[in-house]
Amino acid sequence: MARAYLVLLALVAACSSRPAPHANTISDDWGRPVALAAPATRIVSLSPATTEILFALGLGRRVVGRTRFCDWPPAARTVPDVGNGIEPNVEAVAARRPDLVLLYASAANRAAADRLAALGVATAVLKLDLASDVRRAARTIGQLAGVPAAAESLVAAFDSSLRAVAARAASVPGRRPRLYVDAWASPPMTVGRGSYLSEVIRAAGAENLFDDVGASSATVSLEAIVARDPDAVLVLALDTLHEPSLAGRPGWSAVRAVREGRVLVVDANLYDRPSPRMSVAAADLAARLFRMERKR
Amino acid sequence: MVFATGLGAAALLAALVGVAVGASPIAPADLIAALLHRGGGTAQEIVWSLRLPRVVLGFVVGGVLAAAGAALQALVRNPLADPYLLGISGGAGLGAVLALTAGLVSAWVLPAAAFAGALAATLVVYRLALVAGGALDSRVLLLAGVVVGAFAGAIVLGLLSVSEATRLKTATLWLMGGLGGVGWPGILALAVYSAPALAMLMAEARALNLLALGEEAALHLGADVARTKRRVYLAASLLTAASVAAAGIIGFVGLVIPHAIRLVRGHDHRALLPAAFVLGGTYLVVADALARTTFAPLELPVGVVTAVVGVPIFAVLLRRWTGRSSS
Repeated sequence: MARAYLVLLALVAACSSRPAPHANTISDDWGRPVALAAPATRIVSLSPATTEILFALGLGRRVVGRTRFCDWPPAARTVPDVGNGIEPNVEAVAARRPDLVLLYASAANRAAADRLAALGVATAVLKLDLASDVRRAARTIGQLAGVPAAAESLVAAFDSSLRAVAARAASVPGRRPRLYVDAWASPPMTVGRGSYLSEVIRAAGAENLFDDVGASSATVSLEAIVARDPDAVLVLALDTLHEPSLAGRPGWSAVRAVREGRVLVVDANLYDRPSPRMSVAAADLAARLFRMERKR
Repeated sequence: MVFATGLGAAALLAALVGVAVGASPIAPADLIAALLHRGGGTAQEIVWSLRLPRVVLGFVVGGVLAAAGAALQALVRNPLADPYLLGISGGAGLGAVLALTAGLVSAWVLPAAAFAGALAATLVVYRLALVAGGALDSRVLLLAGVVVGAFAGAIVLGLLSVSEATRLKTATLWLMGGLGGVGWPGILALAVYSAPALAMLMAEARALNLLALGEEAALHLGADVARTKRRVYLAASLLTAASVAAAGIIGFVGLVIPHAIRLVRGHDHRALLPAAFVLGGTYLVVADALARTTFAPLELPVGVVTAVVGVPIFAVLLRRWTGRSSS
């Protein structure tokens, strides 16, 4: 009843020429105001990372739409799939009758953000590239959904688990191994320090081979990889059963780590997004590195 | 003679530069030791398994594209013709994307699938352009090539938008072209495959000269126009398909190098085709050296360099040529 009254109030406010300032108005990562009359209860999450954050905040039952790439936690798969998260199908999103849409901050999503705004659907655009973005997104979502305390405790748990992994990894004696991240084979693409993966690697007690590159991803020379001589190559694979053969790629046997078989194939599902599970990825990587170093 | 010697010297110089420069600097003494298999270690690995294959592949791909471009421009009698005009890039792209959609990701599957796609597109275009009596009509050939290319491109776009995004984006990335994708076995395959097609083009060089006078005139001068056109089209398409399989789509070389040779040396295909091969190869080797070093350790797509460097040079050539003919 109270909510209905609030909705009515919001409608009146929307109809009047001077919109009244609202308590629950915050700005998203594009600096656009997101106004909600009440905490969001029907949320469409258009990136796998925001879906993970919503479930981690205990808001899984309020998620009424997700992208087809949202596969974690397993319960997320039971949420209706609305298709792509970049250039989403606005009609499919609107059909879920959401009171809040979470959109990934990609330039390709500008049109969708404008059209959702025109439909009167509150839309928060969130940049999710680094660990700091996970914290900010958790707080923004917590505010919009009316669970700021849960957001604070998620952020605290996220920070302390990352710190714990980093401290344990740092206690391992010896030099920090240098890792080449194999994002794509030809042309060779990797990640720079603008990527959360670089942060995961650092937390695991290692170093990203191309941290001197500021961007989140870059095409690099195979020759530069050979000359920098990484201790291991990290391959993100969706299919970890069939390990990719790096030695079979033309020219790659020039990389010593490939010749000597120091290739770590990891589950892309865990590693391919900045999420509350970053510390799980870092712990997984630290364990693999430890086993690899022991074998040498 | 002076021209041929100059071209040869330029090709050698380009090869030297291509081996000498890269993302990781190697001192001249270490470079020579590595070339002689003496130094061992990283320098030798870099020179023998990375730089030399790239230089050789660049030379062959550049040469093949320029020769195929020269022949196609004569065949359709259109200065805008380039090796990718006749649906081949679209077919190759479709082949690669289909392979990725089917979940086939390996160093060998992509080139093989692209090659198969390019061949399929070639055959469809050929069949469409064969008019009554088994002759190829140049205008129909152009149209058929463009529509088959558009059809394949539309299917690629459709697949890209409904399939798993990350995996298929890499197909478009691969198609953007680069010389790092195949090693010595791939180069050998390309060379073995290109040699007969290049020989077939050379055998038709005199007939292409006659064809430049117009089909009617060529017929009266004793050329078997229908046969020449079929052979030139198939040879040029096979060359392009093989180069796409080895290095993706590298623009501009096949369009502009033939014109550059024509502007400097005239229109005799017996000289034009080999000169275009050597200059195209030289040009791509230099462009790749720039792509590897300009923003090292980052690497530019080589197609960006071929266009950015080539267009101003070509503009100067055009100015000189139009200046000469108007005065």
